Amino acid sequence: MRIDSVTSPLATRVATAAGAIVLVCLPLAVREIYWIDLGVQVLIWASLATAWSISAGFAGGLSLGHAAFFGVGAYSATLLFLRLGISPWIGMLVGALSAGVLGALLGIMTFRLKGPFFVLATLAFGIVVHIVNVNWRGLTRGAAGLVLPFRGGPQNMLFANLRAYWYTGLGLLACSVAVCLAIERSRLGYYLVALREDEDAARSLGVRVVRSKVIAAALSAALAACAGSVYAAFIQYIDPGSTTRFELSVQIALVAIVGGMHAPLGPLLGAAIVIPLGEMLRAWVGGGPALVVYGFLLIVIVLAAPNGAIEIVRRIARRRGRSDA
Amino acid sequence: MLEVRGVTVDFAGLRAVDHASFQVGQGSIVALIGPNGAGKTTLFNVVSGLVRPTSGSVIFQGTDLSRLGPADRSRMGVGRTFQVVKPFGGLTVLDNVIVGALTRGRRLAAAREAARETLVRVGLERFAETAAHSLPLALRKRLEVARALATGPKLMLLDEIMGGLNPTEVNQTLALVRELNAQGLTFLIVEHNMNAIMRIAHSVLVLNQGAVLVEGAPRVVTRDERVISVYLGEPVESA
Repeated sequence: MRIDSVTSPLATRVATAAGAIVLVCLPLAVREIYWIDLGVQVLIWASLATAWSISAGFAGGLSLGHAAFFGVGAYSATLLFLRLGISPWIGMLVGALSAGVLGALLGIMTFRLKGPFFVLATLAFGIVVHIVNVNWRGLTRGAAGLVLPFRGGPQNMLFANLRAYWYTGLGLLACSVAVCLAIERSRLGYYLVALREDEDAARSLGVRVVRSKVIAAALSAALAACAGSVYAAFIQYIDPGSTTRFELSVQIALVAIVGGMHAPLGPLLGAAIVIPLGEMLRAWVGGGPALVVYGFLLIVIVLAAPNGAIEIVRRIARRRGRSDA
Repeated sequence: MLEVRGVTVDFAGLRAVDHASFQVGQGSIVALIGPNGAGKTTLFNVVSGLVRPTSGSVIFQGTDLSRLGPADRSRMGVGRTFQVVKPFGGLTVLDNVIVGALTRGRRLAAAREAARETLVRVGLERFAETAAHSLPLALRKRLEVARALATGPKLMLLDEIMGGLNPTEVNQTLALVRELNAQGLTFLIVEHNMNAIMRIAHSVLVLNQGAVLVEGAPRVVTRDERVISVYLGEPVESA
């Protein structure tokens, strides 16, 4: 249904297949553990931003509270494993379900809100969850955080080989993108885009606002929670600062916006730019100055490609397509 | 088929519609006319559910619509267009119409088929893959009609779809309305183009300052002195 697709379906398919093969083979070719580690982070952030783009890109509400769902996933997997010995794989499903319910409730409360009011409501929601997380020491141990003991192995989503996390992250990303594509080609996708374009017109055609937006919010939250569970198993230590902090919500939105939230692979591109950029600047420049440079570069990227970096890729593809013809 | 009972709408102290009551019979074409600000569009919004009346009710096929939102009313068979067109600009013309076709429970493939048929019907098939925002205004008005038609309405509210059309296009639109009417579709039409109204309406409602002033056959209504004074102003009393 997307009208701005410029390349032929065949070319797009070939490019996607080539990209998938590269992503599958890359960790086998890379020796340095540092790069694998960075790659896993990129994949997790890409999944998270893809999840975010379901509520933002389709329904049009920019959420600044998605770290809450990420946190629900991370804590569900970790706590169920620590307290009850339940595999984080199961914990991930529990987290997705809980976050889905939470996302639906938030959706029911906020679907009427437009523009900045929606953003502020999600922001407040994220902050509330963070405060609860910090202060509910009996459950989360607050700022002290939780360590995921290395027990079991693959059945507990815990791998000795870092490359296995790459493939876990890749599977997660594939699921998120698949959900995105499925929505785009479904009745729900049409409804969400119609609501984003003009709510009154959509309603007058029979589109039910609450139902459509709440389903999108729940799916988005559930996928974000899955990313949280994988993150917890990957880092094996979680605390409020690394899971539910406000800055994380901003970064999720940033990754999706930089890459392009209206394209299925935009968030992956965004993560591939933003995450390494942040890491490298921290290593080369360090501390406060890094943040200044980081912010400056992001402004430049957003100005150069308001619809996301994916737009630049498309422009190049279009030019190639023309010169070939 | 449609009954509007004593509908009043107040906007922050301004009375947009004032105890308006009228009926639209099954299979008829009723035109709603009146000077600017008479409350025509507000009345449309009340019928389609976008505006809640301060008092009064709307009955459609024996059902009180008061508690239903626009989506449910659309699903019951109330279709509408918007005077200020509201295309889903980022979507193609075909996708715009598919949205309307989907809400009737069709699967995507069936909805696409139904949407294509609707485009042929209104003469937009050449623009199926065009982005809706790049259509000229006259065609966007036609897209409004196509989208609403795709929902399979029983009652169609047309809000100034002739504005900005040339005489040929007006004729085409009138022919389409007549054809749909012959197939059983009921129309309530807001229109400034009096010529078009005279040719198509079975009856005319004149709205002035939110209230129904006169109701009757087109030729009777246009000769009514109250209607003439509303449109041309009160005759000046000689001193």
